[in-house]
Amino acid sequence: MTVRFAEKELKELIQEASQGEKYPLAKLISELEKPDSFEFRKVLFKQLENSGFNGDKSVTIGFTGTPGAGKSSLLGEISTNFLQTVPDKKMAVVAIDPSSHISGGSLLGDRTRLSLPVREKRIFFRSQPSQLELGGLNPYTYHVIRLLRCFFDLIFVETVGIGQNEIEVSKLADLSFLVMVPLGGDQIQFMKSGIMEVPDAFILNKCDEENLARASYHTLSTTLEFLRDIVPGGSIPPIFLTSVKTKKGIQELLDFVLKSKPHTKRSGETKVQIEKWIKTEYGNFGLNILSQTHFDPKGSFEEVEASAKIEIEKNYK
Amino acid sequence: MEKKDHILYDKTGNPSKEPAWIFRTYAGHTNAKESNELFRKNLAKGQTGLSIAFDLPTQCGYSSDHAIARPEIGKVGVPINTLEDFRILFDQIPIEEMNTSMTINGTSMWLLSLYVALAEERGEDVSKLQGTTQNDIIKEYLARGTYIFPPEHSIRIIVDMYEYCLKRIPKWNPSNICSYHLQEAGATPVQELAFALATGMAILDAVKERNCFTHEEFEQCVGRISFFVNAGIRFIEEMCKMRAFSDMWEEITVGIYQVKNEKYRRFRYGVQVNSLGLTEEQPENNAWRILIEALGVTLSRDARCRALQLPAWNEALSLPRPWDQQWSLRLQQVLAYETDLLEYPDLFEGSRVVESKVKDLIENANKEIQKIKEMGGAIKAIENGYMKAQLVKSQAERLAKINNDELIIVGKNKWKDGIPSPLTNDPDGGIFKVDPKSAEQTLKVLSDVKARRDAKKVAETLARLEDDAKNGKNLMFASVECAKALVTTGEWADTLRKIFGEYRPSTGVEGQKLNLESDKVANVRTKVEKFQKATGARPKIVVGKPGLDGHSNGAEMIAVSAKHAGFDVIYSGIRLTPEEIVQSAVEENANVIGVSILSGSHVELAEQIFAELKHYKADIPVVFGGIIPQPDFEKLHSIGVKAIFTPKDYDLMDVMDRIIDIVSAKIPASV
Repeated sequence: MTVRFAEKELKELIQEASQGEKYPLAKLISELEKPDSFEFRKVLFKQLENSGFNGDKSVTIGFTGTPGAGKSSLLGEISTNFLQTVPDKKMAVVAIDPSSHISGGSLLGDRTRLSLPVREKRIFFRSQPSQLELGGLNPYTYHVIRLLRCFFDLIFVETVGIGQNEIEVSKLADLSFLVMVPLGGDQIQFMKSGIMEVPDAFILNKCDEENLARASYHTLSTTLEFLRDIVPGGSIPPIFLTSVKTKKGIQELLDFVLKSKPHTKRSGETKVQIEKWIKTEYGNFGLNILSQTHFDPKGSFEEVEASAKIEIEKNYK
Repeated sequence: MEKKDHILYDKTGNPSKEPAWIFRTYAGHTNAKESNELFRKNLAKGQTGLSIAFDLPTQCGYSSDHAIARPEIGKVGVPINTLEDFRILFDQIPIEEMNTSMTINGTSMWLLSLYVALAEERGEDVSKLQGTTQNDIIKEYLARGTYIFPPEHSIRIIVDMYEYCLKRIPKWNPSNICSYHLQEAGATPVQELAFALATGMAILDAVKERNCFTHEEFEQCVGRISFFVNAGIRFIEEMCKMRAFSDMWEEITVGIYQVKNEKYRRFRYGVQVNSLGLTEEQPENNAWRILIEALGVTLSRDARCRALQLPAWNEALSLPRPWDQQWSLRLQQVLAYETDLLEYPDLFEGSRVVESKVKDLIENANKEIQKIKEMGGAIKAIENGYMKAQLVKSQAERLAKINNDELIIVGKNKWKDGIPSPLTNDPDGGIFKVDPKSAEQTLKVLSDVKARRDAKKVAETLARLEDDAKNGKNLMFASVECAKALVTTGEWADTLRKIFGEYRPSTGVEGQKLNLESDKVANVRTKVEKFQKATGARPKIVVGKPGLDGHSNGAEMIAVSAKHAGFDVIYSGIRLTPEEIVQSAVEENANVIGVSILSGSHVELAEQIFAELKHYKADIPVVFGGIIPQPDFEKLHSIGVKAIFTPKDYDLMDVMDRIIDIVSAKIPASV
């Protein structure tokens, strides 16, 4: 597939997108979501770099949790607070919807639960069907996030997840939350199959009622203490109690997010995502070859992707 | 002996005839003055009760001078802003002698307050007022969309009204469980029974929980609950449904609520017969459908409604003219006064077929009620989206059956060829159109009232309303004071919105499947695949429902069908502004916007949508669907609308086929 935009047009789109124009940005995202976007990505990310957009300072926040945990409504509330209290920053939301069936079509319902102001340039919302991909992420989500990081200070990625496989988002998030509803010990038993160790922080949402909220907080923190092998005196990851109904905990959560920095593991992110892609395309065979291939650790995703592809194809023959 | 069997006796043992039910016509349009004339003409023609249709801004709690109200003023009912509009609306109509039904839900307390204020102003004995405020908020969340507040607050308002009415206007029905719209949204008879009765129990439980009544007073409350039911074309099943309703209500009121007084256990219901099955094609056939549907609820004495309103033959085309309403009223009069219908005891008593059918319906409805109970009752089943999803599912199944020709609709999917109807040959096209200039009169009355009313009093009464809302006091008293102070509908609702917040219910479409596999589906999917191959992405559609019109069935079915065809679909429910719909389409880089409108405001909304697309410099094709009269097609096309779908386009895959063609035409040459 050829690159759809001429150089001049691409420059314009980038310029307009950086100023918060929604349609140019939406068009760029659509190109990234196409299966064979390799050539386009090369040109786009080169152009972005040349224009001084690298996304290094942007923070990516993963929001994972079971359906019905209220992630979208919570993000809606966070957006409202963000727009009211953080005048100098911009945020984007990518909501990945798992619905998919035989026709391959999807119903993307996350917008329903968020009511966003119109013509507000400081916020951008985009839905993505998961396309049946394990891990709750769409195969192109990573590239979309790389693009959004160039223009927004915060990128929220909302995915449905109930088990270890679905917490994939944490691999590209600087900060990942597991969103839960007030629960009892049994549910924690059910959920602790590895998933509890991944998130950087927990949210107990729908804490509309104080007593239940407090009880759940204690259940969760006790479980975490022994699950995470916390040494005496060590600290457990933060747990936020939130309620969209009573607006409880929203500002605290936002403040915590605003204080977060891009993760130091960001440099390893390319490797993780490359591995994920190779695994999908070429299975363990590809991974083996990749492990024997040397590439510039500072190289862009596309550079690594290209050299890995050459090595694999060489060996395949 | 034989004679005794077919003679109807009254309570004293004398041979008698049943009195006829109340004849109503659901009416109101343009403005208060025009509606007043219409009411008086209808009463003169022999109508025996009033059934007021309010326009969408009034139903949704906006004054006519609110921006969102502008395209809708007077379209589907009468606009009511202040007490002044009620003075005009009921001019020369003795309200103390009327039985007035108001189809009003989110703002029911407000409209009742205006009615009470008017009666007091006229010096009438308020306790004599008779009628019904529909006030069934649950079916609004499910089907009709004129809700305002979240469920818990809406229920509180309803209970306030029970408390007030019981003591002050004992003959008023503060709420009326309305399953009518559930059937319009696709409910099966079992779902209609179960959801309506579960709603009734939710209200009674809330009344009980308030604990403000003695048991004797509570029994009176139970006695005030009435129902508003739909009668569909399968009229025998519908008659059995009515019998099942009575039996089940008896079980519920005795078993659960221990109502001892037989009078208060009676299942009292009014009927509007079904509009869902009326066709735009060969619309004259609708006359027969309406008659047959009316028989289901009048034929048997034990399942005869207390009040009836019939749609007009041309309701699938647009608003009916006064002549069309008159024709509908005449049908009732012929049925009640020319035939011998009212002279006999129940005709179906002892029928094995009817008995077994009723038993069946009761069993299945009880199972469904049990499910809802286990979820925590009707309110919970609204909040978790269960009831909505069930209705969308039933509707999708029904439409799939029509598309597969399993369900025959004469003139639509069978015997389609016919001679054009002479009824639509009139220069007016056989439909009624509201004069767009008539809104000026409503706005003038509103601005005059605002100019001359006592601003201090307005502020005081609104402050009291706000306080009472915060402090859990009964809101009726403050509302009546507001009405007298000439507060507007929008001011009343805004004050409560501030305290209660607004609500967005579940759309019910997520996870839905369409049971439809045909050559047409395969054909559309092939085109979708071709699109995907050419562009590298699935076609993406934003389904939008702008404005205040909450009838979302069409939008839901298009959303479900588009997914079935292989589209990525974004549907966010009702009451979105054109700006919100366009913003979604722009951010998602959608390939097409599909807009559904049934309230007649398509031209105004098209203009707003295209203005917003221009703002974003976005060139996204737009298609429209809904009750859109042919004469408006040219105007919509000139604004930029690419295709228009009406009820005639019932075949979902034909619709999707045209949409994918429009989308595919936009594939750039470079790819």
